[in-house]
Amino acid sequence: MPTRFLTLDAMRVLAAYGAAVLLFVIGGFVHPGFASFASVTSILLVASFVGLVAAGQCFVVLVGGIDLSVPWILNAAAILLATASLGEDSRALYAIAITLGGGALAGLTNGVFIVWFGVPAVVMTLAMNGIVEGLALGLSGGLTCTACASYAPPIVAAAVHGVWLGVPAALWLWLVVIVVVTFALGFTRFGRTTYAIGNNARAAFLAGVNVNLTTVCLYGLSGLFSALAGILLAGFGGQASLGMGDPYLFQSIAAVVIGGVSILGGRGQYLGAAAGAVSLTALVSVLLALNMPEYGRSIVYGVVILALLLLYGREEAE
Amino acid sequence: MSLAERAEGDPAATIAARELSKAFGGVQALRSASFAARRGEVHALVGENGAGKSTLIKILGGRLHADSGNVLLDGNAVRLGGPADAARRGIGTVFQELTLLPWMSVAENLLIGREPRSALGLIRRNALAGEAEAVLAGLGIHHIDPRALASEVSLAERQIVEVARVIVRQPRILLLDEPTSSLVEREVEWLFARIRELRARGTAIVFTSHRWNEITSVADRITIFRNGAEVGTFDAIDEDEAVTLMTGRRVEALYPPLPPVPSPAAPALQLEEAGVGDGGTVSLSVAAGEILGVGGLAGQGHRELFLGLFGAPPLARATIRIGGEPIVITCPADAIHAGLGIALVPEDRKTEGLLLPLSVRTNLTLPILAQLSRLGVIRGGAEARMSREIIDSLGIRTPNAAQPVGALSGGNQQKVLIGRWLLAQSRILLLYDVTRGVDIATKHEVYELMMRLARQGRAILFYSSDTEELTHLCHRVLVLSRGRIVAEFAPPALTAEAVVAAAIREPHAA
Repeated sequence: MPTRFLTLDAMRVLAAYGAAVLLFVIGGFVHPGFASFASVTSILLVASFVGLVAAGQCFVVLVGGIDLSVPWILNAAAILLATASLGEDSRALYAIAITLGGGALAGLTNGVFIVWFGVPAVVMTLAMNGIVEGLALGLSGGLTCTACASYAPPIVAAAVHGVWLGVPAALWLWLVVIVVVTFALGFTRFGRTTYAIGNNARAAFLAGVNVNLTTVCLYGLSGLFSALAGILLAGFGGQASLGMGDPYLFQSIAAVVIGGVSILGGRGQYLGAAAGAVSLTALVSVLLALNMPEYGRSIVYGVVILALLLLYGREEAE
Repeated sequence: MSLAERAEGDPAATIAARELSKAFGGVQALRSASFAARRGEVHALVGENGAGKSTLIKILGGRLHADSGNVLLDGNAVRLGGPADAARRGIGTVFQELTLLPWMSVAENLLIGREPRSALGLIRRNALAGEAEAVLAGLGIHHIDPRALASEVSLAERQIVEVARVIVRQPRILLLDEPTSSLVEREVEWLFARIRELRARGTAIVFTSHRWNEITSVADRITIFRNGAEVGTFDAIDEDEAVTLMTGRRVEALYPPLPPVPSPAAPALQLEEAGVGDGGTVSLSVAAGEILGVGGLAGQGHRELFLGLFGAPPLARATIRIGGEPIVITCPADAIHAGLGIALVPEDRKTEGLLLPLSVRTNLTLPILAQLSRLGVIRGGAEARMSREIIDSLGIRTPNAAQPVGALSGGNQQKVLIGRWLLAQSRILLLYDVTRGVDIATKHEVYELMMRLARQGRAILFYSSDTEELTHLCHRVLVLSRGRIVAEFAPPALTAEAVVAAAIREPHAA
């Protein structure tokens, strides 16, 4: 077998970055100013929210799972941030802590039921999405009363909108997450066991890997990242709103797939999923620049995902 | 002799392959392979893993299409549209992978497509089990409940149902790909009795096996394959010559000599009154440097015993002592880190042992990641050095440690799996049917490795579905039946006949 300079996985990651660059170039032709620094930064900022959710999604997809509870964990996190802080800066830290804790707890609960009670991931996380939605709506009164707080603490909003060295703070945060997650998956015991479980959970178990505990932690991390995205989005928009998490389910899975992570688990890198988030957001922006209506964008999304899955499936069969 | 048979090719052939070639991606599985089976003959295809036997059977059975060449049925080139088309032409195939539908009953699986029907054409469900029972009884099978789900019966029973399902359709040509790999002697005898009946009716039977004594006991002619093509067809050939032709090199004595057990023997692993299967209890003791064999029919608690010693899941009510110290094992991680360290090499390296797409290095170091890490970060240098050492010392043939383990040959994969436990410094090895479905050259390498491990003072508990192996490779052999040890043999009383006799003897009423 001839040794290739790049592995298949590395090729996919590069392809995802290539696609992102290509989309920015196309956008520049379609709409002057699309490729300007300000425009690119704002697209990357939007991509960072998708990217953070995709980090959690990437973890569970790597072990052959999926997290469908993303939309309402994210949304409930935004609501929890607003209601727990009452929109006051003095309570911001406390609110952020319980929001992240709540997200992780919901994710861990997913993991516990999937691992110890044998509930399929699709069913469990879908049920969790519904439960969290109900809890969020019930406890917040659906954000309908004027007295209810729905505003993020100004300090969170300021932090998200803050700029350091010309780059928005949220992007810096994402950069840190990219570095940390990539390192964790590539160079730590945690990452190694994650890939081992995704490739063959039975074989990993018989090699002494604590499959159950690792899997539960991965779902917990997914919940944590969804909650983090919810906090940032609430800060970004200044307030929590109902349905704000809805787009992130499809987009997080799409980013992971575009980035070359196998939907069956065991292979792929977060570096790719991050590029996937950028390409996806850039694609949406290009389509918007082309004045394509919502339904058209939806169709393009679907076709892109299908095409990539077909392409990657074929590569693996070879 | 019919007209068709005289038409072309071997005049008496009923099924033949003519210059078949087939490639999967870059791998050439068959290179212009030919052979012919006559009517009323049992024709064995033998060769190492990867020699192309299974691919050939799949093409003859209509599951794959050849890239070039022809399948000749009664001397005429035919294009098989699929397994159903092949079946219509009288070709019945038992493929290597089991194909029963797990959530349907044995009866439904057995009679699928030919169920008893009412006047309205609906399946008469209440007649199904009865008819299946009659069909099975007609084939001499009385111990399989046709009402049981296919997933509930043992692997061997599933294999028997698989064969029965094909035989009841009375094929003119029967193709069997490793039909005996999950069967023990008595079941193999059953299968061979059916094969001889079919042969007497004129059916051409083609089968593959890695067990030489089976091949010589039932086959009329043998075609040897190497590297995707036939080497030759023989009426009779002795094993040494066949192995030389299969491997392209000479293998000296298949079984290496056993090193003596150091005396006084220090018990490495002791098991007292472990609950195995339904109601049985097992006590045993293995010394350092000793190879203790466990034999018996399939499904008698061997798998529970081996997995149980490894905590996957744990044995009921067991007292386990390692080096004399009692320990508790609740999961594989406990077993790996217990005292002298217990290691399990499971029967199926592809589904239970290795992470095929991941690197040789990752597969080697998985159990020792904790020792290799500092604050959770893997020390890359140490990992590279340790995997290098084990690759060198076991002679694992791989271009480098980053190679996906799935790209290695079967023997080298098995070495990676054993090497993993040498890195983990395991002194007690549980080897569970590690040579099942493995070609002869690889078996030989595994045997050599076992002897080396015993010489190093490791204790080995060894189960094999091949009784010959047990008698040649073990210092002592225990026979397990219904979760109990019913006999123990040591040389000179240790013979294959004695082990088999003890395995099939009915237990005395207590």
